[in-house]
Amino acid sequence: MQKYNENQNDTAEQKNPNHPIIERDRTYWRSFDDLNNTEEFQKSLQTEFMSSPLREESASEGDFDNDNGSSTDKWARREFLKLMGASIALTTGAGCIRRPVQKIVPYTKQPEEVTLGVPNWYTSTYFDGTEGFGLLIKSREGRPIHIQGNPSYPLNKSAVSSRAQASLLSLYDPERLKNPYRNLFNEKKTNKETVQTSWEDLDKKVVVALQKGSVHVLTGNISSPATNAVVSDFCKAFNATHTVWEPLATDDISEGQKRSYGEALVPQYRFDQAKTIVSIDADFLGTWLTPVAFTRQFAAGRKNPAKMSRMYSFDSTYSLTGSNADIRFRIKPSQQLDVVMGLIQELSLMGKSVPESVKEVLAPYKGISEKLGISAEAFKKVASDLLKTAGESLVVAGGLQTRTEDSLQLQVAVNYLNSMLGNEGQTISAAGGNPNLRAGYGSLIELIAKMQKGSVKTLIIYRSNPLYAVATDFGFAKALKNVETVIYVGDKMDETASFAHWVAVDNHALETWNDSEFSKGVYALHQPLIRSMYDTRSFQLSLMTWAYLANQGPKRLTTYETFYDYLRAFWKEEMAPKLARGQDFEDFWNDLLQKGVHGDVSTSVAARSFKTEAMSAIRKKTATTGYELALYSKVQIGDGTLANNGWLQEIPDPVTKIVWDNYASVSIKTAEALKLKEGDIVEVSVGTQKLEVPAHIQPGLHDEVVAIAVGYGRTHAGKVGNGVGKNAFALVMNKNSEALFAGLPVQIKKTGARYTLVTTQGHDSMEGRQLVVQATNKDYQASQGANIKRHHTWSIWSGHQYNGHKWGMAIDLNSCTGCSACMTACQSENNIHVVGKKYVMQGREMNWIRIDRYYVGAVENAETVFQPIMCQHCDNAPCETVCPVAATVHSSEGLNEMVYNRCVGTRYCANNCPYKVRRFNWFNYAKLIEKPMHMALNPEVTVRPRGVMEKCTFCVQRIKDGKNKAKTENRPLKDGDIKTACETACPAEAISFGDLNDENSRVAKAFKAEERSYALLEEWYAKPSVRYMSKIRNNDKITEKKADGHAFQSQSAVEGSQV
Amino acid sequence: MSEMKRTPLVLGNKTLKEITDDICAPVETIPSKEWVALFLGAKTLFIFYILTIAVVVSTGMGLLGVNSPVAWGTMIITFVFWVGIGHAGTLISAILFLFRQKWRTSVARTAEAMTVFAVMTAGIFPLIHTGRPWLDFWLFPYPNQRGPLWVNFRSPLLWDVFAISTYATVSSVFWFIGMIPDLATLKDRAKNKIRYTIYGVLSMGWKGTAKNWSHYEMLYLILAGLSTPLVLSVHTIVSFDFAVSNLPGWHTTIFPPYFVAGAIFSGFAMVITLMSLVRIGFPKFKDYITIDHMEVMNKIIMMTGLMVGYAYGTEFLVAWYSGNDYERYVFFVSRAFGPYAWSYWTMIFCNVVAPQIFWFRKFRRSIPVMFVVSIFVNIGMWFERFVITVTSLHRDFLPSSWGQYAWSMYDTAILVGSFGMFFTIFLLYLRVFPAISIAEIKPVMNVGKDEGGH
Repeated sequence: MQKYNENQNDTAEQKNPNHPIIERDRTYWRSFDDLNNTEEFQKSLQTEFMSSPLREESASEGDFDNDNGSSTDKWARREFLKLMGASIALTTGAGCIRRPVQKIVPYTKQPEEVTLGVPNWYTSTYFDGTEGFGLLIKSREGRPIHIQGNPSYPLNKSAVSSRAQASLLSLYDPERLKNPYRNLFNEKKTNKETVQTSWEDLDKKVVVALQKGSVHVLTGNISSPATNAVVSDFCKAFNATHTVWEPLATDDISEGQKRSYGEALVPQYRFDQAKTIVSIDADFLGTWLTPVAFTRQFAAGRKNPAKMSRMYSFDSTYSLTGSNADIRFRIKPSQQLDVVMGLIQELSLMGKSVPESVKEVLAPYKGISEKLGISAEAFKKVASDLLKTAGESLVVAGGLQTRTEDSLQLQVAVNYLNSMLGNEGQTISAAGGNPNLRAGYGSLIELIAKMQKGSVKTLIIYRSNPLYAVATDFGFAKALKNVETVIYVGDKMDETASFAHWVAVDNHALETWNDSEFSKGVYALHQPLIRSMYDTRSFQLSLMTWAYLANQGPKRLTTYETFYDYLRAFWKEEMAPKLARGQDFEDFWNDLLQKGVHGDVSTSVAARSFKTEAMSAIRKKTATTGYELALYSKVQIGDGTLANNGWLQEIPDPVTKIVWDNYASVSIKTAEALKLKEGDIVEVSVGTQKLEVPAHIQPGLHDEVVAIAVGYGRTHAGKVGNGVGKNAFALVMNKNSEALFAGLPVQIKKTGARYTLVTTQGHDSMEGRQLVVQATNKDYQASQGANIKRHHTWSIWSGHQYNGHKWGMAIDLNSCTGCSACMTACQSENNIHVVGKKYVMQGREMNWIRIDRYYVGAVENAETVFQPIMCQHCDNAPCETVCPVAATVHSSEGLNEMVYNRCVGTRYCANNCPYKVRRFNWFNYAKLIEKPMHMALNPEVTVRPRGVMEKCTFCVQRIKDGKNKAKTENRPLKDGDIKTACETACPAEAISFGDLNDENSRVAKAFKAEERSYALLEEWYAKPSVRYMSKIRNNDKITEKKADGHAFQSQSAVEGSQV
Repeated sequence: MSEMKRTPLVLGNKTLKEITDDICAPVETIPSKEWVALFLGAKTLFIFYILTIAVVVSTGMGLLGVNSPVAWGTMIITFVFWVGIGHAGTLISAILFLFRQKWRTSVARTAEAMTVFAVMTAGIFPLIHTGRPWLDFWLFPYPNQRGPLWVNFRSPLLWDVFAISTYATVSSVFWFIGMIPDLATLKDRAKNKIRYTIYGVLSMGWKGTAKNWSHYEMLYLILAGLSTPLVLSVHTIVSFDFAVSNLPGWHTTIFPPYFVAGAIFSGFAMVITLMSLVRIGFPKFKDYITIDHMEVMNKIIMMTGLMVGYAYGTEFLVAWYSGNDYERYVFFVSRAFGPYAWSYWTMIFCNVVAPQIFWFRKFRRSIPVMFVVSIFVNIGMWFERFVITVTSLHRDFLPSSWGQYAWSMYDTAILVGSFGMFFTIFLLYLRVFPAISIAEIKPVMNVGKDEGGH
């Protein structure tokens, strides 16, 4: 623009009459005037236009030669300039109104299957290292924007974990590597320079390295048959060894299975069929194996409060499973084996026959409950419940918390207990587990030994971050220096990538074709949702390319140009013959893509026989005193792979409600003994390893446990994840080639420094208010609506009339486990911003749905209850009356609608909201969305500007969508047509949404027929459109009634530190 | 025995000319060093205030400590504080005028000026505390192209818009009308043309004829009559912002009278503060604003102090008597003993305990004592609004959402800066307008009635 103006000035200058007249060449002439070069002609040349639209016509019409002509012309020009000036002023004025310039580029050639504004849904899968999901991914104009579960996928149905949903944001992570890199190291590998490289160069050098031999491939669990085939083909090609390792490996389970039954596998668990569940530190609802699938099963077994299962938890951290247990015992990790052996002992006393050899082993466990600090009566009750429901009970143990020196013995004992009760084959089955969970520490330790010896020349590391997650005790980092060529295949310059010679940058999972088998015989295809955004190449294709360039390996490895071709060939040749049942391959393939799954989970009831010698090898250790370490992983963060994901970091831990940090949890007594306050930094030392972390005082923790979450303290995760918390993997110990995560003696020392731990919930007690209503099974038997105080409310007004639909939501607190997957779903669906630790501390978190967590009962051994809270869409909404500009209004369908455009931001509505669900845009968060993260935004939901209030809309865009669909299909709306994002993601099916005016809808039934349902703050008469159904604890107790009818008065509260 | 005589309202046996000279002096002479020093300080603070507002408006309300659950903070607290300050002015100039309280004359002008400036200072807050201040005009009901889209007449915030704008209009008109005769005096005394023209225009052609006086007196009386209900209505409506909501601690029927009493209380305290300063800044004014005047106002402070103390007590009684768990919790747990108990007890000390010193005549008539007490009351009344706003919001129904106000340096800047604005305008007023009504002070003198002999 600038340049253009300059040019114009130049031409203007040439026309300046003061310029010397240029001698004209008259060989060619336009007119006689031109030829004669009359004075008039000279003049006319200086006038840019022969006529001007603005010239006053009357003054000199037809009299152009007149001198008046030019003067009028001048006048006209002035007029023109005046008008132009005025219009510029006007447009500038109009420009003051904030109308951002946005270019919309339509498709010039519209793809066949894309209709602008209409989303496409594709089936795909997600695997996080232990749990896999069948997915249904929403794509708008070619970009994935929302991930939910595939309802026809048998394991997870429409539910997915927070991590699976948030992987979408990682696709758009601006810090993903965009092209291959190489690190140039100095000799001692103490310094390096990272340079970009080309695929040609990388491939050439890598092939040379591969051809030297001694190739090792280190990967995480790969749950894809085709990828496993590529890797094994590759291993054949280069005579390579494949090592599978995960930070949260489950080899204790498979090893325990091997010792007990002969085959190393991860079995299938059926929590829905268990009447009594005993979990010994297996956080099956939060982190252990497949928590989403387990939550589904667990909730299914408890839908009917009259026949619900009973869950006992022996918990050494305060896990999500412990929070949901009917009866929870706090133990320390070294007591896990004692618990199981004690239970077997009790059962043998109750008459279960036990072989002599086992009896001998059991002898030292007589009366162990006293030593565990559990009353003999309560402990006997666990055993008798197990016995009563023999064959229909389930005992599980596992997870990082159980990886003590005794972990294998613990697994064996648990297996024995299950076999003894006849659960084997019933609630546990060898068939139907994930056959691909092969990761283990043993193989990693072997690999490290080889690396140390220098017998690994080339190491390919795929989607695995040993330099972060392997403690120095294992010597991985040191051993890596002996490896000549390290090739890292991943999409981040993470801790391990920084130490690799070559970074063969991988696609994001959403850019890659793949397949999956998450349960034996349950197959699915993994479709990419977007073309590779950058110059990246999938791991599989990298292996194929290297094999092709080296011209080594099985034919299928070197034949295909892309992994997609390989995958199809693999399916055509290997899978289809087994699965297609004679169907044409193309049809089979397309059906599979459309349905997203083939096969179902095994329902085999074949029981294996227990090898008693494994049991008789168990030896009791002498009980120790003193603090013990219990490492655990968090529900959202897991092993820390997705640490750079803001959605996951900002979702509070379900139990502690702390965001953006890990910490050392200690019990209240321990805190008193050590004079610790919340946020005091303590030095935790295990052996020679030391870690300084802030302390968190956790009610209900065993007094001798120091629990720290792994997955934090990343140094190369990216801007979001770097420096969040401390790396507790550093405390893992390598003892006799076994990785120990728990039960290690630990010293804890106050340093005197302080740190602010940030929670989203500053107060943990219900203060005796009727918020989460809890009743026991006995209360429920006496009265279904037990412990709910109903208020007599009335009004002099008639209230709103809802003639069409009236939307409502019912939330079953008895099903909700507090897992918080709904929060991520909401965040993704509704474009909710992440504000960061500092602003969460200031009370500015933006989540539209939150899970309130309260502690109930004695502080030392507090029970936990959860309550999802979102906008209650009140009929008498207090927010609506106080808004001065009518920006929040009531819809004819009972929704409380927020009109962002109209909102001025007085925040009066937030003050007047009894549920405090309104969120304010304190800053211009939308402006802070870094490209390309804006691609994750849902175009159906407004991105709110600064200064406006927002809150849950009951996913109004989904309501519209559902109504439109029904309308185009010319049918009435059915219950279940419209599902909110939170409802869809909930593995426990605790949330149901629907039309209250439809008598047969689930919500209408919950509102009218369900005795357990109640409105929150009913006496305040806001008439919310949300009903909660009371939580039932199946613990055989009877709640003592208080005089005013409010049950479960809190006895004390532990104050958090929200400032 | 001579008859009982009231103490004179003006000391020093002034002649009429002396009075005019005394009162016009600050307007007509070069300002003193003290004034300049005060003005420079206030002006710097004012500029700082403008910058702070600019930063807040351009960046976002997030700079202040407001959050969820405490969505209203410093700006609303300080708004109510300044609106309250204004009330004493109107009370003195209008209500006391109607009740023929002659002692009001010497303080009425300045008190009324204080009202106007306090309302100006206050009026900025509701505008800048919104999330999108550039759209504030949407709070006014006017025909528009948006439908037309009207405001929500059920919202107390809208009532507030009307109340404050009415109050600002009426009190500034009242103040200005009262000044017309004096402005004419200044015009007549003017020694240069500019001054003559400006005051000439401002005096609106006042000639001092009987007809002028007759119209003037009539208008003044009507305006006094119009202003009187405003003293009660404005703060009543401000209190509705809180009382009409359903938040325990806000939802209280005692709020309207309690707020009005508090407003008068704080307003008189501010008058005392300012008058003490005026007496220091312009020693001649001591003859007009006498210790007697100050004493009367101190009595009012003590009385209104007792009234707010009573209101504090009533709130507790009603909370207990209502049997409402939430309300009981707010008063008996979080307000008096919660994390903000310090602010509550600061308020109690400043507003209820400190004014009790005025039971003693000696202290009522001591300028240093009353200055200190008036500052206490100002602080206490700011904290009263803090207590009401923050402690009610920070712990309401669901304990899960409880939190605390995240006070930031911008809160401090906004609070302190508003004083810069107020004092800048007030100091300018002292230089530009006669701070005491010349026309009204003359009739209340003893001139011609009781000359000499004493």
